[in-house]
Amino acid sequence: MKAEQQLKASLKEIGDLKAALDEHAIVAITDPQGKITYVNDKFCAISKYPREELIGQDHRIINSGFHPKEFIHDLWITIAQGKVWKGEIKNKAKDGSFYWVDTTIVPFLNDDGKPRQYVAIRADITERKHAEEARVRLAAIVESSDDAIIGKTLDGIITSWNRGAEKAFGYSPQEAIGKPMLMIIPPERAGEEPKILARIARGESVDHFETVRVRKDGKRIDISATISPLKDSSGKIIGASKIARDITEQKHAQEQLKAFLKEIGDLKSALDEHAIVAITDPQGKITYVNDKFCAISKYSREELIGQDHRLINSGFHSKEFIRDLWTTITHGKVWKGEIKNKAKDSSFYWVDTTIVPFLNDDGKPRQYVAIRADITERKAAAVEVVQLNAELEQRVAQRTVELEAANKELEAFSYSISHDLRAPLRAVNGFAGIVLEDFSPQLPEEGKRYLERIRNGGQQMGELIDDLLAFSRLSRRPVSRQTIDNSKLVKIILDELKFVLANREVQFQMGQLPSCYADPALLKQVWVNLISNAVKYSRDKNPAIIEIGSKCENNEHVFFVRDNGAGFDMRYANKLFGVFQRLHRADEFEGTGVGLAIVQRIIHRHGGRIWADAKLNNGATFYFTLEEGENL
Amino acid sequence: MNEPKEIEILLVEDNQDDLDMTLRALRKANLANHIHVARDGVEALEFIFCEGPHANRKIENGPKVVLLDLKLPKIDGMEVLKRIKSDPRTKIIPVVMMTSSKEQRDVIESYHLGVNSYIVKPVNFEGFATAVQELGMYWLLFNQPPKTGG
Repeated sequence: MKAEQQLKASLKEIGDLKAALDEHAIVAITDPQGKITYVNDKFCAISKYPREELIGQDHRIINSGFHPKEFIHDLWITIAQGKVWKGEIKNKAKDGSFYWVDTTIVPFLNDDGKPRQYVAIRADITERKHAEEARVRLAAIVESSDDAIIGKTLDGIITSWNRGAEKAFGYSPQEAIGKPMLMIIPPERAGEEPKILARIARGESVDHFETVRVRKDGKRIDISATISPLKDSSGKIIGASKIARDITEQKHAQEQLKAFLKEIGDLKSALDEHAIVAITDPQGKITYVNDKFCAISKYSREELIGQDHRLINSGFHSKEFIRDLWTTITHGKVWKGEIKNKAKDSSFYWVDTTIVPFLNDDGKPRQYVAIRADITERKAAAVEVVQLNAELEQRVAQRTVELEAANKELEAFSYSISHDLRAPLRAVNGFAGIVLEDFSPQLPEEGKRYLERIRNGGQQMGELIDDLLAFSRLSRRPVSRQTIDNSKLVKIILDELKFVLANREVQFQMGQLPSCYADPALLKQVWVNLISNAVKYSRDKNPAIIEIGSKCENNEHVFFVRDNGAGFDMRYANKLFGVFQRLHRADEFEGTGVGLAIVQRIIHRHGGRIWADAKLNNGATFYFTLEEGENL
Repeated sequence: MNEPKEIEILLVEDNQDDLDMTLRALRKANLANHIHVARDGVEALEFIFCEGPHANRKIENGPKVVLLDLKLPKIDGMEVLKRIKSDPRTKIIPVVMMTSSKEQRDVIESYHLGVNSYIVKPVNFEGFATAVQELGMYWLLFNQPPKTGG
């Protein structure tokens, strides 16, 4: 009785326990083959299968396919060996939805120690699993964010550190977590952290706080940070989350933009300082003028804005000119030109103008910017230059007329000399000759000698006149040049001379003579005069030696004619080339003193130089230079 | 001066000295028999074209040679030459231009106008006499012109 009562009590307890278990857990029992032999209401509720559809089935009916084969295999090995298995399983309900159950499978053994049945007790952990998945997802988001997301305690100790943080600051999570935030704060900004932490502790957020932080490699970066308090489930502030963005580049771009804007501003002020600037709308109405525009046009800004440029039109330019300007700029092309404008006080000014059309997206001019430079003075100077040139030309023309007149006069003079001066000479000579011829017997010897002297004087004057005329003709004669073979020319001259010199012993020594560029007739005159002089002044030497040659000096050919004759005193060398200048008396060496003057004039007319070197009674050398001829 | 005898030489010379020397040289060469002297261009043209004081002369009986000085009063030698050589009746008459100098432009212009000789009066006495005699001789004796009117 007591045992029965005890059993009854035990059964009741078991029944209570079972009821409590059923109330609390999802329970299923399977046979050793896995066939479901029992499910409680909670099992049916969560799996959404009615009990009839479950009994006799095995657990594959609720298999989600989520777990790998190894997982299922391990489970069966465990329980078949009579051991308890615990784990979390994802199942599939009848409607296809999934649920998670925390599962404990207890094998009950028969006397042989083989499993007799398995009792599976499960708890629904679907919500926990979802929460877990959400957390993982969030963590993944945090992890993959480019922004640095950092968790820290109210003491400023780092508690979390995402990949963005690693990227931004260079520390790995292992290096950062547990360390103070001060590690990434530059020393001079260390004061920021306590202030931030104080605000966080008061429950305030810090939004878009721009500051500077230090990377692991010591480099400083600009960041923009938002720091918010972190609360536990009870609402107590336990730390802070900090989202920081590296804005170094952004900052840099901003600074560049700022610098750029400043530069544009500088350029504009420089332009304003330098140029006359106006901006007009597409219709030509003035929308902007700078101070210089006002200054030169003498209009105030208020008088100009809203007007078009006709206000300052000088009326100087043709309609075509203005039309061309407008055609150019309305086609979006830059126009450049010089414009005469009229200022408010009716004075005129000239501006060198560049008009640049600025186009809108349709390619139509949106506005025109005109940049001008004041060229009034330059224009005035140009007018002056034109006037001066005209005056100069007039003066040149006048001088030319005067010069021509002078030349004509000179020509008339020499023409007259050549005729009129000779006629009386002919009379002097002629009648002296007639007296000698017709009255010789009546004349004493002395009288005849004097008449001879008269004739000689007249004769010499005739020669002087001839030489003088030859000399003056030289300056009127045009020089027509060609390349001349000097060797050939001098040989011809020497051949001609040899006839004259038949009764004298003269040794000619001829060296190399390069070609030159000269007038053939005039150059021949030069050689003839110089060689004849050499022959004349060396007539007292036996043998007379005359050397004709050339040498190269300072890249130019110098021709020379040298004799061993009378020479002259170098003190009088400056008189050598003067007309009618002689260094010898006529009874020593005859001559009129024109030969060397002619030579010098010819050489000068060819752009060459002539000089002489001599010693009294020790010969003379005449040198001259001429433009080099082509190679012959 | 206006006897209608045949004139062989017309000497046109304004300078008395040159005239005397020329006449003397011609005389010495026996060329002075039929010389008419004109002292300027106007006189020379009147004689050749039988005008004024020479109106009773016949133009066909022109001189055999004209010795013409270049520089003459009133009408100069060049103009006289031009008139003689541009008239078909007279252009056959040989004209010898005598001048003091050999100015190129004068020489060239004379030959353009058809002068037959051009001589420069030498300054020296012998040269002058010889030149006058030679050219007178040449034109009178060796250079017989065809009969005028041909």
